[in-house]
Amino acid sequence: MNVFPADLHIHTGLSPCAADEMTPPAIVDAAVRSGLSMIAICDHNAAGNTAATQRAAGKALTVLAGMEVTSAEEVHTVGLFPGAGAAVAAADEVAGSLPETDDDYAVRFGQQWLMDADGHITGAERRMLAAATPFALSEVVDLIHRHGGVAVAAHVNRPSFSVISQLGVFPQDAGFDAIEVFSPPGRPSAGASFSSFGLPLLCSSDSHYLGDIGRVRTELLLEKPTFEEFVLALGGRDGRRVAHA
Amino acid sequence: MKLGDIARELRLTCLTPGVDHADQEVAAGYVSDLLSDVLANGPAGGVLVTVQVHLNVVAVVVHAEMTAVLFAHGRQPDEAVRAKAIEEGVALYASEDSAFEIVGRLHALGLRGPAV
Repeated sequence: MNVFPADLHIHTGLSPCAADEMTPPAIVDAAVRSGLSMIAICDHNAAGNTAATQRAAGKALTVLAGMEVTSAEEVHTVGLFPGAGAAVAAADEVAGSLPETDDDYAVRFGQQWLMDADGHITGAERRMLAAATPFALSEVVDLIHRHGGVAVAAHVNRPSFSVISQLGVFPQDAGFDAIEVFSPPGRPSAGASFSSFGLPLLCSSDSHYLGDIGRVRTELLLEKPTFEEFVLALGGRDGRRVAHA
Repeated sequence: MKLGDIARELRLTCLTPGVDHADQEVAAGYVSDLLSDVLANGPAGGVLVTVQVHLNVVAVVVHAEMTAVLFAHGRQPDEAVRAKAIEEGVALYASEDSAFEIVGRLHALGLRGPAV
């Protein structure tokens, strides 16, 4: 068993709010230089750049396919999926519920670039990824589970788009598999107040810029850095666990 | 003003049979869709105007000791929310009007926000 540093919430240039510098090869390069063994690509309501980032990574590090879904209550939930195919299938359901962009959208909200493994732009997403889906939080969690994913309550210690900010108190029956905290560097204990919810705690950077990658991380005790091992760690099974968050 | 009179004036539909608190005097109100905000600022005894229909709205209103929730703009909570509200003694009302319109009318009827 080994300790694998992971940062499981990173946006690419597909997210309108992320910097254009967030290309698959640049993200992989920053993650490797930061000493990470595992990252997850989690764009808003989309998963169009996950496979490209996995190809860009090759064997350099593990890239989990994720998506950050916005519920009708404007709660953000990170879904982490067994593979890019599952993430894209889940994203297709989500995107189908979002309005189409118009000409002014990118000016106001930012570009939504689809990219290849070399970082070249191959297209632009036509749905408004910055919008909220019509799905209630419980439906979002269910959607993630139906596609084989794990559902993580995103950045619960942030004042916006978190389950706490939107819903006041943590809904015990929401079906989450883990809680994510954004703990700024030097304040690793920010998650302590959320430990009472009985769910594993992940620390992730929610990177929108290259410089943020790996600044907040979780140490996972795994046999090898795979999605299957990560799921075991969340359940604390077979000796796998979240070693430090 | 009594909640029953407010409901008549604003043509609200009660969603919680047996729990309308019609005779309860209401002097304050709050409007927000962020339940963390309601938890911190909702005035005791007041009414909440919101489009937030998640089940937690009941828990938060109970915690803030508010009397009723007015769902604006045609938003309808599902059956579980109604059942929980009845169980907890919180009156739920629905209106087709926007939150802006509802709050304007409540203010004209003499209701005020929490003291700052």
